[in-house]
Amino acid sequence: MSDPGDINELVERVRAALFAIVRDHHDELDAVKQLCEASTELLPIDGASISISLGPQLRNTLHASDAVGNRIESLQFSLGEGPCFESFEFRRPVLVPDLANFTTREWPVFATELARMRIGAIFAFPMQRGAIRIGVVDFYRVRPGWLSPGELAAALEVVEIATLLLLNAQSGTTTALYRPTRRLDHEQVHQATGVLIAAFDMSAEEALARLRAYAFANDQLVDDVARDIMARRLSPQDLVDEP
Amino acid sequence: MTTSPSGAQREARLLRAFVEMADTLVDDYDVIDLMHQLVDHCVDLLDAHGAGLMLIDQRGGLRLFAWSTEQIRQLELIQIQQDEGPCVDCVHSGEPVLITDLRAAVDRWPRFTAEALRAGFASVHAIPLRLRRDTIGALNLFGLRPVPLPADHVRVARALADTATIGILQERAIHRGEVLTEQLQTALNNRIAVEQAKGIVSYAMNLDVDDAFRALRAYSRNNNIRLSEIANQLVTGHLRPDAVLASSPPPSDGG
Repeated sequence: MSDPGDINELVERVRAALFAIVRDHHDELDAVKQLCEASTELLPIDGASISISLGPQLRNTLHASDAVGNRIESLQFSLGEGPCFESFEFRRPVLVPDLANFTTREWPVFATELARMRIGAIFAFPMQRGAIRIGVVDFYRVRPGWLSPGELAAALEVVEIATLLLLNAQSGTTTALYRPTRRLDHEQVHQATGVLIAAFDMSAEEALARLRAYAFANDQLVDDVARDIMARRLSPQDLVDEP
Repeated sequence: MTTSPSGAQREARLLRAFVEMADTLVDDYDVIDLMHQLVDHCVDLLDAHGAGLMLIDQRGGLRLFAWSTEQIRQLELIQIQQDEGPCVDCVHSGEPVLITDLRAAVDRWPRFTAEALRAGFASVHAIPLRLRRDTIGALNLFGLRPVPLPADHVRVARALADTATIGILQERAIHRGEVLTEQLQTALNNRIAVEQAKGIVSYAMNLDVDDAFRALRAYSRNNNIRLSEIANQLVTGHLRPDAVLASSPPPSDGG
């Protein structure tokens, strides 16, 4: 394992580059597309694509950085199988550093198609928050091989920021992105999301969006709002009465 | 732990703990539940007052994964947020960090040490969770007296840490980094789903989050469904919180 100092440095560099994109794009979806493009420069990959879900299904491709990425996504959607579908369904990364020596029961047809495209490796990372599923980021590279710890950290950072942007797009907020997220534990945010789900019988996506929108409107941190809810200083009702 | 058990008693309990965990490992187990079992065993077997388990997030940070009490949770979070403390150093070095007397560590980790001493703790022993060259986290034992961890306790702690590693990675023979990432990232996200489910159950059943967690674990065991599966079902509306209430024994007996 490489020195954690190196990892932090690389992640900081990637994060600075990604935040510059976020700053320059007021529309979250535009920013996600730019992020997708930038990831091909920041990471040792040849292309990236992002597909998003609506509810329990993966719905469409938001962006692909190149024609190959586009083809990878459209093939998966037309076949209804592939790493991105597997990643979404099983809520876990699907990482294939050496496609030539890989067999899968989950997506045999797509694997055959990929072999024709001379792609060496494909990495699908779910964008999710616990049970909330937002979509999947697919990275591909022509040369096979897994990522170094630093490269992996950078890739996870891309996925994390794309996830935050798409959560922002859902809740109409922008604040949460501008403070360091790496070392904070957000467990009370997740618990408070659960409280709202139970209180109003709403979806988890809506509950989290409501929490974030309330924090944004009141110029508070989501963590602080969540802490107040869990300490019963703030009633769930207060969050829905807000205009 | 007020009274120290005799050697034979300890031996028997040790054996029982490992048998119990081995039984879990060959079954269709849930990582989060297993890790909570594990920190409870640490308290029981190693004369610790509390125990916590942290994992790396592979982005240069740490996440708290299991803890025996709220007090331990707070002390672990302070280390993560302040980026200092025996557990942080243990993960970074991959070596055990054994602090017999925290009073001597004030300069090394000023913020963590002040909080730990204020909470009444005297010792912290951090044991790395390692798989070959990779360190994936640390098991942390908190004690009330400034005494060294006896050599046989260190061995048991290492064995428990190894069990945790295998349990989290769900595969002893992981040779490839990408599999480690798949397992670790999935476990970290499942931890979030369980927090969401705790919120649901705590609101619906009017329980504090610890009792909500107990109710979820009881439901998981009684129905033989993985904790993270139950959490996902609850959060996505496929399982109603009253079902958890209906099938769980009343919490608070520590179960």
